[in-house]
Amino acid sequence: MSAMLRAENLYHRVATSEGPLTLLNNISLQLARGESLAITGASGSGKSTLLGLLAGLDRPTEGRIWLAGDEITAMDEEQRAAVRARCVGFVFQTFQLLPGLTAQENVMLPSELRGDRNAAGRAAEFLARVGLEHRLGHYPRQLSGGEQQRVAIARAFASFSGNDGILFADEPTGSLDAGNGEKVIDLLFQLNAESATTLVLVTHEQRLAERCQAHLRMAAGEIQSADILPRDGGNLSEVSA
Amino acid sequence: MAATPTLPLKLLGRDWRGGELALIATALVLAVACVTAIAHFSDRLTRAMHIQSQTFLAAERVVRSSKPVDPAWIDEARDRGLERAETVSFASMLSAGEQFQFAAIKAVSAGYPLVGHLEMRTATEAPREVVARGPGAGEVWLEPRLLPLLELEMGDRLQVGEAELLVSGLLDHEPDRSDNLFSMGARVMMNIADLPATNIIQPGSRVRYRYLFAGDDAALESYFKWLEPRLTEHQRVIDLREGQPRVASALDRAESFLFLAGSLAVLLASVAVGLAARRYSLRHTAYVAVMKSLGAGRGKVLQIYIGQLVALALCATAVGLLIGSLVQAQAVTLMSDFFPVDPPPSSWSPLLVGLATGFACAFGFALPPLFRLARTDPMQTLRRDWSNPDRREWLGLVMGPASMLLLIWWLSGSLPITLALFAGMALLVGGSALVNRLLVRGQLASLGGAWRIALGSLQRRAAFNTLLIAAFGTGLLAMLALVFARTTLIEEWRMQLPENAPNHFLFNIAPHDVGRLRGFLDNNGIAATEIYPMVRGRLVAINDIPAKEREEQAGALRRELNLSWTDNLAPDNRIVAGNWWDKADEGVSVEVELAARLNLALGDKLRFSIGGLEIETHVASLRSLDWNSMRPNFYMLFAPGTLDDFPATYITSFYLPADQKLLVNELVRNYPSVSLIELDKIIERIRDTIGQVSLAIESVMALMLVAGVLVLVSGVRSSIAERLQEAAIIRTLGGRRGLLLKSLVIEFGLLGIAAGLLAAIGAEATLAILAMRVFELPFSLHPLLWLAGPVAGALLVGIAGTLACRSSVSQPPLKVLRELA
Repeated sequence: MSAMLRAENLYHRVATSEGPLTLLNNISLQLARGESLAITGASGSGKSTLLGLLAGLDRPTEGRIWLAGDEITAMDEEQRAAVRARCVGFVFQTFQLLPGLTAQENVMLPSELRGDRNAAGRAAEFLARVGLEHRLGHYPRQLSGGEQQRVAIARAFASFSGNDGILFADEPTGSLDAGNGEKVIDLLFQLNAESATTLVLVTHEQRLAERCQAHLRMAAGEIQSADILPRDGGNLSEVSA
Repeated sequence: MAATPTLPLKLLGRDWRGGELALIATALVLAVACVTAIAHFSDRLTRAMHIQSQTFLAAERVVRSSKPVDPAWIDEARDRGLERAETVSFASMLSAGEQFQFAAIKAVSAGYPLVGHLEMRTATEAPREVVARGPGAGEVWLEPRLLPLLELEMGDRLQVGEAELLVSGLLDHEPDRSDNLFSMGARVMMNIADLPATNIIQPGSRVRYRYLFAGDDAALESYFKWLEPRLTEHQRVIDLREGQPRVASALDRAESFLFLAGSLAVLLASVAVGLAARRYSLRHTAYVAVMKSLGAGRGKVLQIYIGQLVALALCATAVGLLIGSLVQAQAVTLMSDFFPVDPPPSSWSPLLVGLATGFACAFGFALPPLFRLARTDPMQTLRRDWSNPDRREWLGLVMGPASMLLLIWWLSGSLPITLALFAGMALLVGGSALVNRLLVRGQLASLGGAWRIALGSLQRRAAFNTLLIAAFGTGLLAMLALVFARTTLIEEWRMQLPENAPNHFLFNIAPHDVGRLRGFLDNNGIAATEIYPMVRGRLVAINDIPAKEREEQAGALRRELNLSWTDNLAPDNRIVAGNWWDKADEGVSVEVELAARLNLALGDKLRFSIGGLEIETHVASLRSLDWNSMRPNFYMLFAPGTLDDFPATYITSFYLPADQKLLVNELVRNYPSVSLIELDKIIERIRDTIGQVSLAIESVMALMLVAGVLVLVSGVRSSIAERLQEAAIIRTLGGRRGLLLKSLVIEFGLLGIAAGLLAAIGAEATLAILAMRVFELPFSLHPLLWLAGPVAGALLVGIAGTLACRSSVSQPPLKVLRELA
């Protein structure tokens, strides 16, 4: 199976008033299409930074990343944005829905940014898949936290213009109670399985991490340990520190 | 791939409730409406002045000549499709039976006047008729006062030279009469076809030929280009500028003033746009970070937000253009007396001015925050940090002021006005930063309680407060500068028209009437100025060099001057060089400014041509005088006796209180040959005009106040979320509402005082430059301004700021903390 996401020897440093600070130290990993990876670690361990680099939101100081076959570390900001528009979906801890737009319009946004004229129909379809077909015209403030995160999940899946989707989730249950968190996670994995998308998520929750095929524990910008679960067909994701 | 075209509009519509877009739109509408109204007004005023100028010439252009011109010139004008007319003016004696009278005769051709109209009556008691043509062949029209002098009735015959003409009309108005108001004798108008029969014009006669032209601008332009090399020293082209009456300069000044006020309103509105756009951009940082995470590149973000800005600017500008056009239509109706003639409809150019204003405000001030917004780091979505990490604000600091500088320069058409404004502004921004530093480093916090909270707030927002002080300062500067400039302007105008200044002029007084007239005035208790003799003559040589060579320096050399003589120096006259009539050294006393323009010095030889004779004299003294005193005043005053050999008429002026106004009728009845100008009516008209100009300025100032409030609201809204949070925390920790309110009053009061102080400095500097460079007024310090600035600032900013922030102390802290969490 070809690699959907591959990172080689990533280093990331930032300049601070006290001198350079290393956020990530020599990270390499590889995920095949349809695989799922959980990244856990304490606050400040570098997991969100790694998520951002893997999604192409920023460029590492050193190292290379391939996303859906494209080397995004060799691209400029506009080119990386085009890759994200094509095959990256995001789910954030605080949902990040635009308050002025209805649920349907929020889900339409990625399609509209791509210039897709069938954005409304596509959004309605994804909202139906997350069970919110009756909430199309509601604004975020009129929705519960769980519903808002379901809208965000619908938006993330609506972000993919083709089959090569990779979904990045940053603490997707962090702002939800246990019951709603459980429902959202079930939905996320269900859609992930249905769409054969690749999933990378950052979480504090051990239960959530255990549902992923690979689990990477981080501390001080380094991979502390990695669990790789065997999958059907015998191929394994590779994680190295 | 580009985003769907409707996305910017959808986001614009959905984001309206956020408030910033409404503020930006309101500020744009205000700026565009203000400038459009002023531009329309100015355009119509200019057109009205243009028409009036043409009316003063009775044509669009005139060739004046002392000899008949080559008939080929007229044929050429005809071939080029121009309208033509001709007048011939000269002075001659008229007779009717036993009566004789000296008169100023004007023979006019068919077609005269080409622009404007004549007013005449067919009988003494008949109503005035507006006519487009002069008298027909064989007919003559007289100025009404000639009838009793010549003991004539309508329908009688009048001898003009060797011709006998029928008196068929009384002439009440001719458009191009102004240039010979003080000419000898009353006006008589005849047809040019009768001129040869009069046999008056002989070689050497003093005759003025005027050739009038009108028509298509391009045809006129090309004709005069053709004509110019053919003109001799006896011929001169008179165009609109010279036809323009003196009141034009006053109206020009009013127009500059309106544009200045309008420019300041635009500047304030732009600051409001900038503040609101900055807040909008900060609030949208999270949106943009999300959009970027979803695959929007910087270009796409810019496409969306610039699309929104264009849509907003177009809508707001359209509304502003509409409001501005309606306001000016109303203003023109209200101020119809202000216009010299019925103002023609406005052109399209004011709409272009409004459009440019809208886009300059929108793009100059709102674009830089949007550029910063487009640089939002998408990693912020993961860091959950919505501060704007891009500290490069230089673009906003350059683009906004640069666009305003260009716009105001274009609007005012005056670099001095623009530079004066920006000098004040630069001072203000620099001063704001300094005052802000002093404010937050001061020892005021030691006063404790509310002072500590207020100072803390000022300290936390030090950078932004600099902007706020500058913004409030701009508003106050504009208001202070306007109020004081307006007061000074009107004061100057009032000084031009002192109370009890003479309000009636009498001229064309015949020598034999002087004694009787003086008796009449004395008997009625009217204090008149001296009755001055007046002889018309031309300065032809200075130190034996033809005066023509210095015509460029002084227009007075192009025309005949009123020459007079007196023993008594008038109270408003002062000898600044030489002596007032020394028996051993008689000569002429020259007005000092004319002397300076002509480079005249004491002892210089002057040669005058009077009625075909020449006399030579020398400069005996230089004299300053006050042209605004409403007294008869002269460039040239001769020693008594020098001009005794020349026929003179007399002139005087006097003050007549309103309750004695009926004396005018008696005076006119007793002295029918004397011409009277009722200055009190003209003065009243000027005062009305000043009142109307003030009304226009007040209206613009009201718009400026609104713009100032917009700046304030935009500024406060920018920090409202932070303020809500701080107030909620203080109240959670036990702080009382009163304490917070007091801290707000102190905070905004101090900001207001700082802004007011800086505004006073800026306004004083602006006034200094304006006074000296634009209004040509003497400059003096204004102590009241230094008090008014800080007090007005503290009151305005203190009250408005506290009111705008009151929601931050009135909302329950739990609700605030939950919403902000």
